Amino acid sequence: MLTIGLITGWIALAAALALWLGPKAASTAPQAAPFLGGGTPETHAWQRYHFRPYTMALLFIAFEMEMMFMYPWAVVFVSEGIKALAEMGMFLAILSVGILYGWREGVFRWQ
Amino acid sequence: MTGLLVLAVLATLLAGTCFAVLLDRAQPALVAEFFRSRVETEAPDRLNRDLAPAWYLALAAIGLSVVPFAPGLALIDSPAGIVIWGSCEALIVVTVFLHGWAPNAPFPLIGAYRYAALALPVMLPSMFVLIAAALPAQSLSLIAIVDSQREIWNVIRQPLGLPLFLVVALALTLRGPMDYADGADIATGTSAEESGAARATWYLARAAMLVSVSALAATVFLGGPLGPLLPGPVWLWLKTAALMALTAWLGHHVARPPPGRMLTLLWIALLPLSFLHLAISGVLAL
Amino acid sequence: MTRLARIAASAPVPVFAAIGPGRQAETERLLARPGLRRADTARDAAILLVAGDLPEAAAPALARLHDQLPRPRVTLRWQGEGADETETALTGAWRELCAGGPDEEDRLPDAPTNAWRGVGPHGQGGEGMMGGTPYGRPMAMTGADIRDGLQLDRYSATLGPFAPMLPPGMVLDLTLQGDVICEAAVAEPPFAQPAEADAPALCAARLLRLLGLEKAARRVIGGRRPGALWITGAVPPGLGRIGGADLRARLAAWLADRPVTVPAFDLPALLAGAEWCEAMLILASLPPSELIRAARRDAAA
Repeated sequence: MLTIGLITGWIALAAALALWLGPKAASTAPQAAPFLGGGTPETHAWQRYHFRPYTMALLFIAFEMEMMFMYPWAVVFVSEGIKALAEMGMFLAILSVGILYGWREGVFRWQ
Repeated sequence: MTGLLVLAVLATLLAGTCFAVLLDRAQPALVAEFFRSRVETEAPDRLNRDLAPAWYLALAAIGLSVVPFAPGLALIDSPAGIVIWGSCEALIVVTVFLHGWAPNAPFPLIGAYRYAALALPVMLPSMFVLIAAALPAQSLSLIAIVDSQREIWNVIRQPLGLPLFLVVALALTLRGPMDYADGADIATGTSAEESGAARATWYLARAAMLVSVSALAATVFLGGPLGPLLPGPVWLWLKTAALMALTAWLGHHVARPPPGRMLTLLWIALLPLSFLHLAISGVLAL
Repeated sequence: MTRLARIAASAPVPVFAAIGPGRQAETERLLARPGLRRADTARDAAILLVAGDLPEAAAPALARLHDQLPRPRVTLRWQGEGADETETALTGAWRELCAGGPDEEDRLPDAPTNAWRGVGPHGQGGEGMMGGTPYGRPMAMTGADIRDGLQLDRYSATLGPFAPMLPPGMVLDLTLQGDVICEAAVAEPPFAQPAEADAPALCAARLLRLLGLEKAARRVIGGRRPGALWITGAVPPGLGRIGGADLRARLAAWLADRPVTVPAFDLPALLAGAEWCEAMLILASLPPSELIRAARRDAAA
């Protein structure tokens, strides 16, 4: 409970500070135009942005789940001994095959 | 005791932020920035734009709260301090993305998506390195990790840890080689449409984050409040200041590759290195 | 002046440089001096430095740019004075701004660029899936991507003559999908620059700024070694290959103080399909004289 209270306290303090430090933003219409070095945009910037590394993000999810497994594994590692290291090694090796496959398929090439 | 620790965290954040600004030699520019007017863009997302620096500051404070200021004494004394820090890291990615999404302008949007694409893989070596440090301590609590360094610091028995974590620190504080959110080739990216107090507050939030991530690195790798003669908090401050100076130096002196190259390097070089680091740490901890 | 204003006045002067024909080398050298800082975005700058005589066609863009600087702001024209005089003028103008000095009004009228046309109350709706002009601009429409064929939105804009990451005067009609350039057409070639702009130190400094090494760029212009790590290693091999030499080779040659010549090339072919950072690095890695020639060829076509 104390943890949640502290976290909420920090957030409230930071929000109050940011809102107090910053005056209201105000601009005339020519000042509000997006910066393009003197150029003009044709559309709004918000769009269905083509997020190129989406295939990499799938591989990232796999590693994220592996991280979830490693949190409790780290706590019992020393008591479990070499068997725990071998199990984690196998898990990482299987996922590393995923990295190799992804690298050959070009998921890390920003496209 | 809790009140004292809250004051300690606040004091560390304030003093550390001043120190970070001094490291960048940016104090006159920061003062000048607060006097300039604040610009608004066309149809922005006002709530996220105003609060993004606040979330960043809050995450820095929460991250610093799990760091023990004396052996056995931390503001958030959690058995899973590493997990709390990990959630702070992940939320930083969201915060920086919101900061770039809010202005509804092309360069901030590119900066936001680019940072999201690169900071996500950076989270992986970060967690591997922290978990490797948790192995000899048999606990995810930072207090236990500090206790496990009484004979020898983690930077010596797990040498790859601190360099890998410095890369993470650069990514979380948007500096140097990992500064994809605010890069010069996209006209300072997520800050491209900000001026005045908003720009200054974002910079201050990044400085506060530098304090937080350096304090965590000092705790996990350099033994935190452990040390002879001087009291615990003083050792923590000294080690944090040293790591802040090192991170700031790296930020100013290492080149930033284009995002595609950095993505490839992260996945095929840094991540396997962190696997190796975990394996070595595991064998040594047994 | 109050004490805070005096501290603010001692900051490096944030200058946005609108560089005109023939003034690129001088302006880059001037802004590399300690005490002056080159702003990467108009929102970061307080002083607009107009170097040289800009052609009439660039006047509307200059007005748009001028209005984007946050207030208080001032414009300084640099016609033919020496660099020292201009530095003194810039520092003096910044000091006046910090003391609450003169401010400049907008040059353009305060009216939205487009009408809010559409069916709904925010200008949205109308024909098509995303029709209308909400808040004064249409929404981006879909188009096939050139790398993987996904039908996502295309963002089109004109990147103007004073973009800090482009050569001065170059106007590009860009269509982006995400941060990859799908189409790039040279609307206006860059302004003519003397051979001095091809100096190895200046060319290396341009690339170093894009690689995030601001201090190293200043040192290189000052004639010293860059003092940074992993410079050529950060550039991917094989990027921007023209006639056998890629970007890495050109950067290494410039850092070793050797001039670089490139054979003729096709500018839109170099840029199409390039990710934004790589495209800007490619543009900065071409010596200005060759780039101007290629852009003029493309603009005439």
